[in-house]
Amino acid sequence: MAYHSQYRPPHFNNAPADQGFLWNIFQRVDKDRSGSISDTELQQALSNGTWTPFNPVTVRSIISMFDRDNKGGVNFNEFAGVWKYITDWQNIFRTYDRDNSGFIDKNELKQALTGFGEQCYRLSDQFYSTLIQKFDRQRKGQVAFDDFIQCCIVLQRLTDVFRRYDTDQDGWIQVSYEQYLSMVFNVV
Amino acid sequence: MSFHYGQGYPTQGHNYPGHHPLQGAGTPGAPYRAGMPPGGQAGQYGGPTAPGYSPYGGSTRRGRLLAPPWLVPVLWAPGGPYGGTASHRGHYGQQPPAGNMPPGVSAEAYQWFQAVDMDHSGSISLKELKQALLNSNNQAFNDETCLMMLNMFDKTRSGRMDLFGFSALWVFLQQWRGMFQQFDATALGPSTERAAPSLSPQFAAGLVGRFSGGRGPQGGLQLDRFLQVCTQLQSMTQAFRQRDTAMTGHARLSYEDFLSSAVQRLM
Repeated sequence: MAYHSQYRPPHFNNAPADQGFLWNIFQRVDKDRSGSISDTELQQALSNGTWTPFNPVTVRSIISMFDRDNKGGVNFNEFAGVWKYITDWQNIFRTYDRDNSGFIDKNELKQALTGFGEQCYRLSDQFYSTLIQKFDRQRKGQVAFDDFIQCCIVLQRLTDVFRRYDTDQDGWIQVSYEQYLSMVFNVV
Repeated sequence: MSFHYGQGYPTQGHNYPGHHPLQGAGTPGAPYRAGMPPGGQAGQYGGPTAPGYSPYGGSTRRGRLLAPPWLVPVLWAPGGPYGGTASHRGHYGQQPPAGNMPPGVSAEAYQWFQAVDMDHSGSISLKELKQALLNSNNQAFNDETCLMMLNMFDKTRSGRMDLFGFSALWVFLQQWRGMFQQFDATALGPSTERAAPSLSPQFAAGLVGRFSGGRGPQGGLQLDRFLQVCTQLQSMTQAFRQRDTAMTGHARLSYEDFLSSAVQRLM
């Protein structure tokens, strides 16, 4: 495998959260008691470690990842996946946010992104600068937790779509104009 | 500079290789392709106005500041149209204010800036922008498009738009809206298909379907989605064109090059 195959959080050895614990959380997050957690409800429940609201785009990405029948929210069963997903990312983030600032800088981001794939295609320093610039929503030159997750989600989607075209797995693709457009449109 | 596809969408003779020439056989003279508003690129907005395009569609309205339909009077208050606060009263429907209007900023843009900047902070926030923009079905612009425009015209990366940025946005909106109305009026099909004739009808229909908010390919796009789709199309086309230097219609991309071409175009 020539390039990064995993921008997903590795599975930590944390014991699966027990159902009673999750149910408690689910009920607290599901403010309107609809049995389904919406974007807004999840956003209100999440903190990025700074005093700004959790990135709504990240929230949408996460919900849509686990919302199997496209109902615009997650039910209790799906919420277990959401919980694990966020917890795994949080563990990653804490590992690389060495100074506990709630932000990771370019070098930390680089380490984080190369750290959890089994093998990684070398990405240039310049590329990491671009990433920081694009995902640094708070304009601090560093990325917060929510933006970090979004960055990884986008990279994962782009990598997935790239691999579909890179059939010989040499890290290069040859695409037509419309193929390129649809690759990018499906991600951004 | 000649653009083979995308930017300044192809006129005859510039058709994208390997694709049909302009799909819409019934398209008259293609006046709107000539002056496609440039998008995305730094410093390029504020290009020439499309020939034949008259803002707000009528000379009868000249001489009076009428609210362009997509900008709602955010300062609506008793005591006259647009007359929200005393400081604003008199600006509308009058001669452009002289004096503190910076060069390069039109009187209309200046006046609307004052109206949209509700907290008089001297710059426009995402919220203020969203409150000022309206689709023809009277729904507010979606967040994504507002954020996209804010990012495009926020040169200081402050998350807010100053008067110059707003003035550029004003030009951008007028030009795209001119195009949008022409597509709308011809009612010949999904608007994006006509905006980018180099795209196959299937691809265009897929795009429209995706951004039409559940109304399907036939449902068409609202103005906000139209702006979003066209701007992104333009920007991605530009990225592709840079990599297809031989103009073959195909490009070879490395993993990192693909990633960065896409990431850089995130709005």
